[in-house]
Amino acid sequence: MSPVVISAWSALTSAGIGPATVAARLRDHSGSPGGREVGSGSGYGEELPASRAHVLDGFDIRAQLGRKGTSSFDRVTGLAVVCCREALDAAAMDLDAARRARIGVSLGTTVGSLRSTSDYTRETLVAEKPYLVNPMQFPSTVMNCAAGQVAIRFGLRGVNATIAGGPLAFLNGVRYAGMTIERGYADVMLTGAAEEYTPHRAWLSHLTGATGPLVTGEGAAMFVLRRPGLPAWAGTDPDAMILAISTAYGPGGGVQADQALTGCVRRALHRAAVTGAEVSTVVTGESGTSDVSEFLPATAALGHEPGRLLPKLSFGECGAASGAIALGALLSADCSGLGLITGRGLDGSVGAALVQGRAR
Amino acid sequence: MAAVIAGSAVRTCFGDGAQTFDALLGGAVGAGPLRHGDPAELNISTAYHAAAAGADPLWRASRLLAACVAQAAGHAGVDPSRERVVVLVGTGLRELSAVEEWALGGTRPRARSLHFGDVVTAVLPGVVEIITISNACSAGGQALALAQDLIELGDADVVLACGTDALTRSMLAMIGRVTREPATAVRPFDRDRKGVLLGEGAAVAVVVPPDRPGPVLGRLAATGVSCDAHHETAPDPEGIARAMTDAFERSGCEPAQVDLVVAHGTGTALNDPAECQALRKVLPVSDDGALVTAVKGATGHTSGSAALVNVDVALRCMAGGVVPPVIGLQTVLEEGTGLRFVTGAPTRFSPQLVQINAFGFGGVNAVTLLEKP
Repeated sequence: MSPVVISAWSALTSAGIGPATVAARLRDHSGSPGGREVGSGSGYGEELPASRAHVLDGFDIRAQLGRKGTSSFDRVTGLAVVCCREALDAAAMDLDAARRARIGVSLGTTVGSLRSTSDYTRETLVAEKPYLVNPMQFPSTVMNCAAGQVAIRFGLRGVNATIAGGPLAFLNGVRYAGMTIERGYADVMLTGAAEEYTPHRAWLSHLTGATGPLVTGEGAAMFVLRRPGLPAWAGTDPDAMILAISTAYGPGGGVQADQALTGCVRRALHRAAVTGAEVSTVVTGESGTSDVSEFLPATAALGHEPGRLLPKLSFGECGAASGAIALGALLSADCSGLGLITGRGLDGSVGAALVQGRAR
Repeated sequence: MAAVIAGSAVRTCFGDGAQTFDALLGGAVGAGPLRHGDPAELNISTAYHAAAAGADPLWRASRLLAACVAQAAGHAGVDPSRERVVVLVGTGLRELSAVEEWALGGTRPRARSLHFGDVVTAVLPGVVEIITISNACSAGGQALALAQDLIELGDADVVLACGTDALTRSMLAMIGRVTREPATAVRPFDRDRKGVLLGEGAAVAVVVPPDRPGPVLGRLAATGVSCDAHHETAPDPEGIARAMTDAFERSGCEPAQVDLVVAHGTGTALNDPAECQALRKVLPVSDDGALVTAVKGATGHTSGSAALVNVDVALRCMAGGVVPPVIGLQTVLEEGTGLRFVTGAPTRFSPQLVQINAFGFGGVNAVTLLEKP
């Protein structure tokens, strides 16, 4: 993948809407996993595995997007669509139908909306005769619902891809977007990831061990990606650029995944033609300062120990969206030099991206 | 950046690539009685069986594919111990016939055998990756597009773009249901066409960078792809035209440079008019415009391998300076007026830039531009 510039971006997190809220949360962060009380009596109506979560307070899809076309949106679709609107607004591109046809979407997810799929499936099993289910909800049960709704809402007729890769979905999605642009299938890619908080996801992240000492969170971050200088209608180049990306798999996790991640960082450095010494910040998906499952393999390739940013302490364990929020955090952090984003899944999937500069 | 074809192999009802091309030049029709399934129940009595698949009704797509992979890799000198080799297998229905056999009380097939990893590894050990692309009747063209991407991105040293499909009862039954009286011959672009018939076939094109030592049969200018986003089965001339335009934009070639089209031409009520409309929209129509030929009247519709069977035919047209006629075409349909179909007998002509069409159910289109080396 050749370098892609980040024209603009936005994020929806427990800190609020927009890049400024991400920067403020990072500045004020206390060092504890944070989140707010979501336990009994907080409106979820079901038993929860933990009493705290990083959720978007008062996020109302209809208030954000109006009633038209949103009645069947599930929460993750709402988060993705609102985040894309914010990112597109920030990019301030002069769009017509022909240009919209050259804009694609690649959206990272774990399983789409777990609530939509599991509730729908449950309904088909427990409903009384004549076993009717709500057909309006059916479109939400497919994993690519959110990416499709983004395309419909904003008329983006380019490549539309949903990348189901859990913790690695965002890095995979950026790689996919970069290749899509490089091979001429789209001129601009709206790329990111989204994940909703529901009791279903809280239990999933609790039972798979993804949460650990963290609290479950929700959010979305979307980035407007394109070639440096192209297309002309997409505006002038900001500083921020994804220089290189590399993904790999260390079967079963453990030492093999350690080695695979070290290899990813080496390859990313090689592709970007930079040295490890130039990297001043590493952003990881780790759960706290004592968790070095990504930092150690990364520093093995970098040859030194740069500063480390742990966005999950500030925004929660947001599944696929954590990778995207990590890039937002890096762009918001006040760091000179290059940034490295790492990701690691429980199954041994790993990845790394090298990022330069700040976005406007 | 570009990619070239270093080897090509096919298996059709006529045999290998040379035998298939000879049969096309001779005006042969490879149709025969349907051997698998009950003709009365299926409402289909005719098919284009490939002898290379053997007599066994099961695992035919795998056997055809294996024969092509071995031959094409051999000709191109592919060596997985020295080169990063990726194999992309385009197919409409994979090994569905094995599942049908199971549903009818036969043995349960191993899930992994429904893909082609094991048969490819058996004839070409050491390949890095084997990926099945299930994309209906343009699957082979989609594989070719992805092959060129992988080569031009430097992610592979050699990519085998493959296609394979054999007959399945479900597909036969479906074709039998959409026609009142079963067709007994495929007549592409003919006013009195009666519909499509299935042919068994496989094809492999070995795609490599231009600087790789070894044979060069043709230069891949580009493959354009599109999705109609229009209808489950009915083609859309606009969507087809978009794939053609995409191919020209990617390659930098002009439509007027195309001097031969190897068309999709399925002989169905809807494909042939839609394909003609798209060709007339994108290519200049004139007395010295591109020649148009099509093979399915002779070979049947070979589904997943159709695009790559057409590629092999195009390579042989370029090498031999002769273009076979559209077998089964007597009176050109109205929408084809002005297009220069080759009919009756082969034409002496040495094409420089060939356009190869492949369209599939779901509106998935792939259009390849192939240049003489």
